Amino acid sequence: MKTKPKPLEYLKWSANFLKLGYYVTALPRFSYWGMKLVRPLYVNGETFLNRKVRWSLLTLGAGVLPPEEIKAYRYAVKVFSDNMNNAMNGGKMGKPVVWVEWILSNEIVGAFDALPFNPETLNVFGNMSGQDIPPLLIEEAESRGFAPEYCSAIKLTAGAYMLGQTPQPAAIIAGSHPCDTNVSGYQGISRLTGAPVFYFDAPYWRNDDSFKYYEKNMWDLVAFLEKSLHQKINWDKLREIVDNENTFNFYLHEICEMMRATPCPSTMISPLFAWVVRELAIGDPNGTEMTRILYDVVKNRYEKGIGVVKKENIRVIWWNPPIAFFTYVFKWMEDEFGAVVVKDFIGDVQVPQVDTSSEKTMIHDLARNHLFLAMARQCHGPVEFITQELEKAIDEYSPDCLIFAGHAGCKHGWGVIGIIKDLLKKRGLPSLFMNMDIMDQRHATEDDIKRWITEFFRSNGFA
Amino acid sequence: MKTILDETRDLALSTHNHFLEEARKQGKKVIGYFCSYMPEEIIHAAGFVPYRMRAVESKGTTRADAFYSSINCTFVKRCFDKALNGDFAFLDGVIFVNGCDHARRMYDNWRYSKITPSFLYMFFAPHVIREAAYEYFILECEKLKKAMEEHFKISITDKALKESIRLYNEKRRLLAEIYSLRKKKDVPIKASELLGVMLAITAIPVEHAIEILSNVKNYITGRVVSKPQDLRLFISGGCIEEMDHLELIENCGAVIVADNICLGSRHFLDVVKEEEEPLKAIADRYLSHLSCPRIMNDFDRRFDYLLSVKNDYGIDGVIIEKLKFCDLWGGEIYNYRVEAKKKSVPLLAMERELYGGGAGQIKTRVQAFLEKLRNKQATDENLVQAAGNDYKPK
Repeated sequence: MKTKPKPLEYLKWSANFLKLGYYVTALPRFSYWGMKLVRPLYVNGETFLNRKVRWSLLTLGAGVLPPEEIKAYRYAVKVFSDNMNNAMNGGKMGKPVVWVEWILSNEIVGAFDALPFNPETLNVFGNMSGQDIPPLLIEEAESRGFAPEYCSAIKLTAGAYMLGQTPQPAAIIAGSHPCDTNVSGYQGISRLTGAPVFYFDAPYWRNDDSFKYYEKNMWDLVAFLEKSLHQKINWDKLREIVDNENTFNFYLHEICEMMRATPCPSTMISPLFAWVVRELAIGDPNGTEMTRILYDVVKNRYEKGIGVVKKENIRVIWWNPPIAFFTYVFKWMEDEFGAVVVKDFIGDVQVPQVDTSSEKTMIHDLARNHLFLAMARQCHGPVEFITQELEKAIDEYSPDCLIFAGHAGCKHGWGVIGIIKDLLKKRGLPSLFMNMDIMDQRHATEDDIKRWITEFFRSNGFA
Repeated sequence: MKTILDETRDLALSTHNHFLEEARKQGKKVIGYFCSYMPEEIIHAAGFVPYRMRAVESKGTTRADAFYSSINCTFVKRCFDKALNGDFAFLDGVIFVNGCDHARRMYDNWRYSKITPSFLYMFFAPHVIREAAYEYFILECEKLKKAMEEHFKISITDKALKESIRLYNEKRRLLAEIYSLRKKKDVPIKASELLGVMLAITAIPVEHAIEILSNVKNYITGRVVSKPQDLRLFISGGCIEEMDHLELIENCGAVIVADNICLGSRHFLDVVKEEEEPLKAIADRYLSHLSCPRIMNDFDRRFDYLLSVKNDYGIDGVIIEKLKFCDLWGGEIYNYRVEAKKKSVPLLAMERELYGGGAGQIKTRVQAFLEKLRNKQATDENLVQAAGNDYKPK
């Protein structure tokens, strides 16, 4: 049984390994061949020997993803590593750490002399220390009374804090969307940490009144941070962040559009890498550089009519968030079946650009932008926010099937499952509905998911 | 002969009632609504009858299961199942609130299944209490008013709103008076009976509700339903509409004297200011009344409320309940546990399915809790003995 971890043990390992990865991937071809050569040692399953590297190497493509992508991911690795190291050293640097909950965005915090930290970081990066680590953190929270029905994202955050695996926040930013876990969970986390919390309240509709309301939330956030951090916001810094963000979003939007093509020129893991960059440090120039390189790679393939896999057999829509402990499911499907995820719920970018001409326009547009971020976009309102996006994806991305990653925490999603099933039936799209938890393998493991997907492809004549 | 409490119990146990039938004969429309954050006054000012949606008489969730999943709440599924079976066919409209994820999805499922009535409306209630939310709540009230006016081709005047506010405040005052009678050592009404009253008065025109409440108040004056050895409890939770459930708890040797439940204090605490602009006053009351955990920045006030009534009502212990798969109350239980421990408030947390049975398990847990409370009291008083015949609770 795992003993109590040392303070920040998992975050430190992640930051250090990512730092190492940053240097190694300076030679993308070397990294590619290195991963390919040692592939037999880690590809089959997690063992005592490979547990601290397997997830990372598989997520980086495991010698299957071409070196061009690795070159781009290198910049993301730098963003992740810097963000974690800064947050852990906030005290030494004399800078406050501000937690920004996973579904929000941290431009405003970046405009202060403060360090944004995504408290859900270990939901993804905890797997770097072994796939048993996220469930361990979740169990800790449950055993101390955190509601077992919560989305595991928040349970893991609470468990990580309880076990000293996340830095102490000076302030927290949380919100009411996409689900009740968010409404409720940070009330508990504020009791745990003792830090002041600002709660964003997402409107239900998407109209001018709703945007205005969210905009007021943004102004209230500025006032909250100025009060909590005893600083004034630096508007020039915000402009710089938003300029980078605009470029970042432009490239991603283009990539997602190009993924409509047959064959699909990009793997879905790339937009998802970018999503994690957004979550941790939007506006970081390294993140923007990553998307620029990815854009060039994908555009080149698109123009030449080359797909990300040699023979594209199946085009898949992946609905609901990706599986954190099995991030490489996309590469696995590509390798095993020539199945490419062409559109998903999280990686697809549909945000409006932000006008940086004045303070007012920035806040005004950021409010709109945030309500179009992944999960906020689909989940804060009526079911049409889901069904319209699904219909559009079916019309535009030529899918052969859909995989619904039925996350146990998404009760609002399960609350309209009948409508979603009906829609897919009407559109004649073969669909796989998985009962699982994207962060907690106690519900379904990597092997379960592989088996379900394999059987689904076979039974529908795709494989 | 039937007492007034028998009458309210009968009303509570049925979906439809003769008051509604009478109102409909008079040309009044009946509008169903969910959640304590939905202002009844706006419906009433339209000349309609607000009707709080309920799962009573529900026979299961079979038809609703085709829309929802196994991890959705039983209150919502049972209500929707009733709707699919035509049990709410007498309604002329339904107003939904984004109270929780399960409930807000009923708005989607109801529209999708194309069942009556035609007026289906989503009322957005903010999740925070602050200036911007208050302004937005006013706007939502205005939008609801306009939507009703347009759909039903009526006009809701300020005069009518003021009259509705006056009537609903009257109802609230009467409820507050009845509730405060439970401060006495000899409690005149059980929580299970009071829940019946609440269910009844939220399903009939307010004018009749006021009459019933006056009768209840007169009926219980001088009445004693508690036993001297009964422990005094506070109950907190979301949807509780099973009178049997509260009866079961009280039959274990306790009397529930105060609460923070939807069909309890949250429904009547805090009046709407009658001298102010009606919609602004309504928004003010409904956003800032005793909250439930859907309000994110108000836990301290909720717990302070418990501490204040603990003294006023001489509370020995607290029961907090949630329905299965309810994130909001699941989280509240954690916060209650943390604070109750700090403030030495004895707490029992329970989970149940609406009309889900399990009476034996609940009884065992409540009995054990009450036994612990008695033993604790004995120890606290330095008696250093188990609760026996000589022991009288505080």
